[in-house]
Amino acid sequence: MSKTQRIESTMEVVRTLVGLVIAYAVALVILFAISEDPVYIVQQFILGPLSSPRRIGSIINLAIPFTLCGLAMCFMYAVNRFNLVPEGIFMLSACTVTWVALKLGNGLPAIVMLPILFVVAILTGVVIAFIPAIMERKFNANVVVVSLMLNSIIAFLAVAIMRYTMRDSSISYIASYEIPASAQMPKILGKFSIQSGIIIAIVAVVAVSLLFYKTSFGWKMRLVGENPRFAGAVGLSAVSISFAAQLIGGGMAGIAGCTEMLGNYTRFRWSATTQHGFDGLLVAVLAKKNPALVPIGAIFLAYIRIGADVVNSTGDIPPEFITVIQGIIILLIAAESFMSKTKNKLIFKAAEKEEAERKQKQQANTAA
Amino acid sequence: MADELLRMQNITKIYSNGFIANKDVNLVIHKNEIHGLVGENGAGKTTLMKMLFGMELPNEGQIFINGKEEKIANPLDAISKGVGMVHQHFMLLPSLSVAENVTLGVEPIKNGLYDFERAVAETQAIADKYNFKIDARAKVRDLSVGQMQKVEILKALIKGAKLLIMDEPTAVLTPQETEELFEQLFVLRDDGVSIIFISHKLEEVMHICSRVTVLRHGVCMGSHDTKDLTQASLSKLMVGRDVVLKIEKEDPVTGAAVVSIKDLVKINTIGKNVIDGVSFDIHAGEVVGIAGVEGNGQTELAEVLSGLGMFASGDVLLNGETIKGKTVREIRDMGMAYIAEDRMVEGVAGNMSIKMNIVADRFTKKEFSKGIFMDAKKINDLVDQYIKDFEIACDSPDEPVRMLSGGNIQKVVVAREFTSGANFLLACQPTRGIDVGTAEMIRKTIVRKAREENLACLLISADLNEVLECSDRLLVMRKGKITAAFPKANEVSEETLGEYMLGVRDMTAEEMEALL
Amino acid sequence: MTIDWIAFAAEVIRMATPLVFAAMAALICRQAGMFNMGIEGMILCSALAAATFAHLFQNVWIGLLGAILIGLLTGLLIAFVSITGKADLYLTCIAFNLASTGGTVFLMFMMTGEKSTTSGAFRSFQIPTIDIPLIKDIPVLGRIISGQSLLTYVAILSIFLMWLLLKRTRLGLRIRAVGENPHAAESVGISVPKVGYISFSICGIMSGLAGAFLSMSWVTYFMRNMANGRGYIGLSAQNMANGEPIGSSIAALFFGFCQALSITMKNQTNFPTEFLEMIPYAATIIALGVTGMLAIRKRRKVESGQAAAKEE
Repeated sequence: MSKTQRIESTMEVVRTLVGLVIAYAVALVILFAISEDPVYIVQQFILGPLSSPRRIGSIINLAIPFTLCGLAMCFMYAVNRFNLVPEGIFMLSACTVTWVALKLGNGLPAIVMLPILFVVAILTGVVIAFIPAIMERKFNANVVVVSLMLNSIIAFLAVAIMRYTMRDSSISYIASYEIPASAQMPKILGKFSIQSGIIIAIVAVVAVSLLFYKTSFGWKMRLVGENPRFAGAVGLSAVSISFAAQLIGGGMAGIAGCTEMLGNYTRFRWSATTQHGFDGLLVAVLAKKNPALVPIGAIFLAYIRIGADVVNSTGDIPPEFITVIQGIIILLIAAESFMSKTKNKLIFKAAEKEEAERKQKQQANTAA
Repeated sequence: MADELLRMQNITKIYSNGFIANKDVNLVIHKNEIHGLVGENGAGKTTLMKMLFGMELPNEGQIFINGKEEKIANPLDAISKGVGMVHQHFMLLPSLSVAENVTLGVEPIKNGLYDFERAVAETQAIADKYNFKIDARAKVRDLSVGQMQKVEILKALIKGAKLLIMDEPTAVLTPQETEELFEQLFVLRDDGVSIIFISHKLEEVMHICSRVTVLRHGVCMGSHDTKDLTQASLSKLMVGRDVVLKIEKEDPVTGAAVVSIKDLVKINTIGKNVIDGVSFDIHAGEVVGIAGVEGNGQTELAEVLSGLGMFASGDVLLNGETIKGKTVREIRDMGMAYIAEDRMVEGVAGNMSIKMNIVADRFTKKEFSKGIFMDAKKINDLVDQYIKDFEIACDSPDEPVRMLSGGNIQKVVVAREFTSGANFLLACQPTRGIDVGTAEMIRKTIVRKAREENLACLLISADLNEVLECSDRLLVMRKGKITAAFPKANEVSEETLGEYMLGVRDMTAEEMEALL
Repeated sequence: MTIDWIAFAAEVIRMATPLVFAAMAALICRQAGMFNMGIEGMILCSALAAATFAHLFQNVWIGLLGAILIGLLTGLLIAFVSITGKADLYLTCIAFNLASTGGTVFLMFMMTGEKSTTSGAFRSFQIPTIDIPLIKDIPVLGRIISGQSLLTYVAILSIFLMWLLLKRTRLGLRIRAVGENPHAAESVGISVPKVGYISFSICGIMSGLAGAFLSMSWVTYFMRNMANGRGYIGLSAQNMANGEPIGSSIAALFFGFCQALSITMKNQTNFPTEFLEMIPYAATIIALGVTGMLAIRKRRKVESGQAAAKEE
């Protein structure tokens, strides 16, 4: 590895960490400024999430959908398409699997039930992701705008499906009937009470990482994402590849929604989209499109989210401030100029040193 | 000295990828002189001028204008200090008029609104003063390249430039247009404008410059009076050895037509026929060169042949099959290899590794896969072999391509395209902006592959030396048409070629018939 | 089912007002070569600012000023991150919109203890409506055109001002130059970042007006996520007209029609509301598809030589 390259890759990591630290510090300052007992609140925010096995379990539980959505957004981000439908798919796939599970009823064993439901979820994701992707491919429509509009439509659609086809009127709140026991995924690991979706998340991370770095499709995606015109010139169909990547990302978001629904809930009861898609984008940005790093980003995000929940329950501070922190993180990491001066200085110094060494050698040679 | 206009002292510039573009460079420009700045491609001429024009900041060094030290932070600074620059790639707004382009930045205002009529008048006045024939109301996209360059010069003059930087101004001009430009530069000089003339065409430098400064690999090799130099001594200063311009080659033994182009027409988005009924064949074993002023359909021809662009009518046969409706993948499988004009856009993916860039055209093939995964060992071995064969200077095959020098990046491109097994090579500007050594390697390999491996090659280049030396047959393209054809490229003089490129002369269809 | 068509037409104009502002905000950035999706969040922040400032100073005009100020500041923030910070503009805007969705709720809660609207805690203010003399007496037309919010007439004025700015001023020429070829603009000493900041500032003022309309004319309080995609719809509107002010406004009017249709049908029919709510969003997607398709068709035709043949 050349010196310049080493400086560049080290600085990337440092930059990300500094970005996280700054954002985290901003969170602490906000808490400090607005709470009546700042020291206690800040302490709760930092240590609260780690204070009991149950809370640690909640971090992991929360990190599971973040990981899966992060993987979904990795596909979009890898081909440079900010197709944000995973946000909508997450909600809609939870809704469609609930609907199918209720239709299938109690008759089926889990071993048959669960695979069917996951297939339904993946199909939901692929079909929905198809819409913005094809709109862009055929009509050159902006994929970000289309996907955001679609998310709004999906939220109404999912609520309509729930209200008109599977609402349980015997309960006081608006929710579906309870899904059959064979469709519910068990909690594991005793007192940590972690959803069994963790297995799906781990398998997915490994599989997607292999796909990205060891298969020809992964190479194609990355080439197309880096330079679509070059990909076209060497005979790759940039359009089809980015199209396919978006569909796979949609399927992955479907898996995410399904895992969350079957692992954590017994009834479908969301009335709006859940932010998981946007959280996935943050995770993908933190992981620099590298699926293997997605779980780390997901755990970090889950940690500050649980911290915010702890603070909310003990100090009456609304957890919404975390979205501001999330925004700051993305901005700092996305901003190329952030810390670029330091990087350039280091590279400049290294180049000067190399030049000096070369001269010395030359002089030694001529002297000899 | 009393008549010193500019002094750049101990300028050092290191780019963020660690590339040292300038090292302790000194440059002094006097009043009323045309000063040559010469050096090979990549010697740091453009970088030095960008710093003078405020587009890059030096890491070290000082700039004095009229004896006063100045910090030039941006082009506005440079302009206010009387520096103007005509860029190698024109900085024009095609959808706007000449007057709007010229007055942009110093727009005349009436009642708070932009005064278009006065802009036209001002433009016309300054054009008349220096005898530039140009219509201030015309849209820039309708102008010829030579006229666009005049617009660029007018842009600098209207802002009161006393020092005009011209970055390879003749690269895109025909010999006749070049002569006209020189006349105008002399007028400017006598009127009190100093000119920095960047070029690597030595005869031009010797012809119009009184002094010349030489850069070599970012280091200043001193300034000299041209009357003390000969072309040979100047070229020695530039490259440190004699430039090999001749390529020894025997006459081609041509085989069957590998590519047949028939009545090809391509229409662009504004409805203009950018390729207008072109027909010719390329045979196995020969290099066909296409010369022409840039922007006369060459780029579009390459787009069509590579499968990246559509065409309206006509046909192209490659090894007997039409490429109409075929994808780039299919055309490559039919036997096409493609060295793209702009390597950073279509030749490589800069952030990707050398390895991925070298195998980019073939890693999808069955032979490189092992089950659902790729055969890492096979790919690594192949890439290591090519890095050795093509002498790509790098630390590892996993290094991102963007960290290499221009010449090494182009080696990555040719390592891929020369080894793809194709029998038709489409080479567009294959040596633009790279070092002499690599350029020579690429040119020789093209000729050798034609002779030894029966490759059919179409060489599209703006470098006249290159097309004249490498090609067997030579065609001239103008306004989307083939306007001249010569059986032996190395027997054509640059003067003759220039006349055809400019359209002073056209060959008739009968004259060219046997040569297409 | 009886629909009051005159009231409906007036509603169309009312709903189109913030969309026109959003479209103007979007097109000034587009002319400078930037696709600014952050308008959505900018409108949201301005809407909260309008309600808050008006309440704090007990003055509707200070509320309006506050909205414009916050629109301006948020615009400059996005400009700073994307231009000076060199961040991807898409990513910047997505992050900003995310932060403003949560941030406005957070701030609202800190100020009022409420998480859904400020209607309980803040006094409500309304920008006055204007009766236009003469026109107000014309039957039908008077009821539609006259008696709208002052900001509606400002929106109509802004269309003309935007056209004037782009086509007839030095700044407009420079903005278009930067949008067409930033290198060319830079080479004649135009500061590309500066033009970018100016465009974002104008965009911010327009977004501020849109936000003020939402929380001081459309309704008289702030509610969470009240921009509700209007920023994106404004972007789509200017997209349909290639950034031309007049065409963009017509597109905005069309989207206003879709929103009014959705609201009117919700109030006056018993069709399932969820499906009615979808109308504006679906209309946006379809409109983007149709305009895109037409543009591509036209280009194909030209490139294959059919259009040229027709002209001859």
